[in-house]
Amino acid sequence: MTSVTMPETGGPGDGSVILRCEGITKAFQGVHAVNGAAFDVVKGQVTALIGPNGAGKTTLVNILSGSMTCDRGHEFIGGTEVTNWPSHRIARLGLMRTFQLSRELGGLTVLENLLVAPHQQPGESLFNVFFRPRLVKRQERAYVERALDLLDTYGLYRLRDNRAGELSGGQKKLLEISRAVMVSPQVLLLDEPMAGVNPALIDRIGGYILDLQRSGVTVLMIEHNLNVVEQICDHVIVLAEGRTLATGRLSELRQNEQVVKAYLGEVIDAGTDR
Amino acid sequence: MSGTWYYIFTLAFFLFDYFILAMGLNIQYGETGILNFAYIGFVAIGAYVTGVLSLPSSAGTGQYYILGLSLPFPVNLLLGGLTASAFAVLVALIALRRLRTDYLAMVLISLSLVLYDVCNNYVPLFNGADGLYNVPEPFAAALKLNTNSFIPFFAAVTGVIALFMWFVMSRVTRSPAGRTFRAIRDDEVVAAALGKDVFRQQLKSMLIGSFYAGIGGGLLIQFSGSFNPTAWLPGETFVVFAVILVGGVGNNIGLLVGALLVETLLVHLPAFLPAIPGAPGLIEYFDAVLIGVLLMVMLWFRPQGVVPERARRAASFGVKARLGTAAGELAEHVGSARAPQATTEPVALTTEGSGP
Amino acid sequence: MQLFWLSFGFGLVTASVLAISAVGLSLQFGITNYINFAYGDFMALGAFFTYVLNDELLHLNIWVATLGGSVAMGAFAVMLNHFILAPFARRFKKTFYVLIVTFGLSLILLNLEYSIWGADVRFFSMPLDRAHHIGPLILTNSQLAVMAIAVVLMLGVHAMLKTTRLGKSMRAMSDNTTLAMTSGIDTNRVTTITWFLSGALAGLSGAVLGITEGNLTPAAGELFLFVIFAAVIVGGVGSIYGAMAGALLIGLATEVSAAYINPAYKLDTAFVILILALLIRPSGVFARPGRA
Repeated sequence: MTSVTMPETGGPGDGSVILRCEGITKAFQGVHAVNGAAFDVVKGQVTALIGPNGAGKTTLVNILSGSMTCDRGHEFIGGTEVTNWPSHRIARLGLMRTFQLSRELGGLTVLENLLVAPHQQPGESLFNVFFRPRLVKRQERAYVERALDLLDTYGLYRLRDNRAGELSGGQKKLLEISRAVMVSPQVLLLDEPMAGVNPALIDRIGGYILDLQRSGVTVLMIEHNLNVVEQICDHVIVLAEGRTLATGRLSELRQNEQVVKAYLGEVIDAGTDR
Repeated sequence: MSGTWYYIFTLAFFLFDYFILAMGLNIQYGETGILNFAYIGFVAIGAYVTGVLSLPSSAGTGQYYILGLSLPFPVNLLLGGLTASAFAVLVALIALRRLRTDYLAMVLISLSLVLYDVCNNYVPLFNGADGLYNVPEPFAAALKLNTNSFIPFFAAVTGVIALFMWFVMSRVTRSPAGRTFRAIRDDEVVAAALGKDVFRQQLKSMLIGSFYAGIGGGLLIQFSGSFNPTAWLPGETFVVFAVILVGGVGNNIGLLVGALLVETLLVHLPAFLPAIPGAPGLIEYFDAVLIGVLLMVMLWFRPQGVVPERARRAASFGVKARLGTAAGELAEHVGSARAPQATTEPVALTTEGSGP
Repeated sequence: MQLFWLSFGFGLVTASVLAISAVGLSLQFGITNYINFAYGDFMALGAFFTYVLNDELLHLNIWVATLGGSVAMGAFAVMLNHFILAPFARRFKKTFYVLIVTFGLSLILLNLEYSIWGADVRFFSMPLDRAHHIGPLILTNSQLAVMAIAVVLMLGVHAMLKTTRLGKSMRAMSDNTTLAMTSGIDTNRVTTITWFLSGALAGLSGAVLGITEGNLTPAAGELFLFVIFAAVIVGGVGSIYGAMAGALLIGLATEVSAAYINPAYKLDTAFVILILALLIRPSGVFARPGRA
C-alpha cells in the first residue's frame, strides 16, 4: 500500500450541498474569531478545513455543531436552517462531531461510550424502562451488537470493558470517531482527528475516513497535515482570520498566491516532514 | 422494651431513611452531576407536607399550619414526595437552565437558607420556629401500638420502603436512562453533541431525586412525630453528601454503607453518649468536625468511596462475543497476543509511516 | 419619610460591610475560579480573632483589634489554601470536588468556633456610641467609621488593580491563568497574596459586621454569606466592580425593605433580587459577557 488516488467524483452523492454556512460571525470580547465565514460542503465528499492557527477553525466547528452560538450568519443542514440551534437538535439531524482534545466520557466504559450515542433511545424513557422492559432489552441488544462490531472495526474490542478515561491518546481518538459513527451520521465534523497520533495510526484513521465516505457519510475535517489532505480530501476550504479565503482542490490552491502567503507557505516549509 | 433495643431500632430507622436520602442525592449528584446544595430543603418540604397532610385541621391544636387534612399514612407520604418533586421542577426551570456549576451551587445553597428563613419566620405556614409536633403515628391506633412498639414497627416499615425504592432506583441507574445521566455527569458538552437534551435529562434527574428527598423527609416526621427548622440547616445537606461520597458515588450498595458509616455511626450514635459536664453540645460540634475531616480524607485517599461505582460489562448484555480480530489492536495497548489483521485498509498518509 | 431615611442609613452601612466582603470573595474567585463556600466562616472567625484581641486577651481598642483580627484571618486563609484547598484544586479537574471541600471546610470551621466560643451571643468591648445627624440620615460613630473604611478600601482595591504590578498580575490571571503564567507572572505568589487579601477582607467584614450588629455568633457569617452571594451574582461573579455595585444595591434593598415589610425577611428580599437578576441576565447585571 502506498497511496490511494481519489476519483474525481468522490464517493456516493449527487453533488448536492448538505451543509452550508453563510456569513458566520463570532466575536469574543470584541475580537472576531470567525468573521463572515461562508462555504458549502458537498454531500458524499471529504472536505478539509485548513488555515493557520487562530483562523477560527475550531470556533467554526463549535458553531456548526451547536456547541457555541454565533453572532451573525446562517447555517443550513440539507436545506433546513439550523442557525444557533442547540447542540442536541443539530445532532439529531445527523450532524455529529469529535473534539480537538479528546473528550471521552471517562467514567463510562468504552462500550458504554458507544451505547450512549444513539439519539432518543426507547430506554431513555423511564416509562419504557418499567412498563416496556422487553422493548428496551431488544433495542439494547441491537445497540450492543452494532457497538461491538464498530469496536471490532476500530480495534478497540479488547478494551470494551475498560473505562474510557484509562485509554491512551490514540485510543481516545478512535473511540471518539467510533462513537460519532455509532449513530450513522449524515455529516461528520472531525476536529483534527490525526493531531498528536503516531504515523501508523494516522494511516489507519485515514482509511476509516475513506470507508465512511464509501458508506455515504459526508466528512468535514480540520487538518494541518497537507499530505493527509492531499490523499483523502476531495475539497479544501481555507480559512484565514475568520474568513473563507479560498476553496477548491488542494492542487488548485497551491497555485493561489493569497493562500500560499496566508497559510500554505509556512506549512509547506515546516510541515511536510511531520 | 429495653433501652438498648430502643437505640438499635432508632439507628436502624436512620440507616434506612438516609439510604433513601442518599439515593436521591446520588442520582442528582453522583449520576447526573448536579451539585444540589439545596437538597435538605427538598427533604424539609417532604417532611412538612407529609406532616400537615396527616395532622388534623390546625384549629384548637395550639399549632398553626396550612392544610390539616388527616390523610392516612402512605397517601400523605406520597403527596409529600410529589410536592418536593414539583418544587424541584420550579427550581430547575429558574436555576438549572444555563447556570454553570458554581452559580448553580450558590443559588441552591441560598435557596436552602431562604426556605429555612421563610419556614422559621412565617408561622401560619408550618408553625414557624417551633415546627410541627404531635404528628399522628401511622397505624398506631389501628394496630394498638404504644410509643415503645411503634419504633421497631416503623423502622421495619421504613426498611421495606427503602428496599422497594432501592429496587426502583437500581432499575433506573442500570437502564439506558441512567447511562445518559452519567454521560451528562462526565461531560455535558459531549452529551449534547450526542443528541442528548441535557436540560431535560437534568430535570428528570432532579425530579426523581427530589421525590426520594421528599419521601425520606416524610418518613422522618412520621418516625419522630415532629419536625422543626433546626433539623434542616444547610449543613445537613453536607451530611448527605458525606454519606454518598464516603460510601461510593454511583453505587447503591455503597450508599447503604455510607449511610451506615456516616449517619448511623457518626451522626446518631454519639447522640447517645453522655454529655460532657459543663460543655453542652461539645460532642455534636466535634462530631460535625469529624464528619468534615472524614470527608476530606476520603476524597483525598479514596475519591471513589468505600464501594466504587461498577462498570457495566459487555458480557452482561447477553450478546455473543466477537473474535476481536477485525482490526489491529493499537500498539500502545500492551498485552496483545494476537497478530493484527486489518480489513480496513490503511492509507499511506505519512512519508515515513505505512500500514501493516 | 423619616423611616425611609433611617433605613437608607442602615442600608449604606450594610452595603459597606457587604462591599468589603463581596470584594474579598470576588478577588479570590477571579484567581482560583471556584467559589469558597467557607467564606462566611472566614468572616465569623475573623470576628472572633478580633474578639480575642479586644476582649479576651489583650483588651486592645476595637479598631486596633479589628486590624489584628483581619491580618490573622488573612494568614489563616493562606494556610488553609496551602494545606487543603490548593492541593484539592490541583488534583481534581472538576470544580465539584473543591466546592464540596470548601463546603466541608465551612462545616469544620463553624463547629470549631462553636466548640471554642459556644453558641452564646458575645459582645465586643467598645466605647459608647454617639449618633450624628447628617442631612436626613442618622448614623453613629462606629457606623460612620465602617462606611469610611469601606470607601477607603474600595478606592484602595481600585488603585491596586489599576496601578500596581500585583494588581495587573491579578487581572491577567483572572482573565487567563495559563497565559499569565507563560508571560512570566509568578502565579503562586499572586495566588498566595490573593488568599491573604481575601481572608483579611473576610475577617475585616466579619468584625465590622459584629460591630454594626452589636454582637457576634459563629453562625452570623454563614447567614451573611448568602447576602454576599446575592451581591456578587447580581454584580457578576468574579467582577470586582460588579461586586461593589451589587453590594450597594443589595445592601440598600434589604434594609429599606426590612423597614417597610418585616425585618425577618431581609434575606428573602436579597433572594428575590437574585432570582430576578438571574432571570433577566444570567451572567450578572454588570458582568462581562460570556462567563456564565
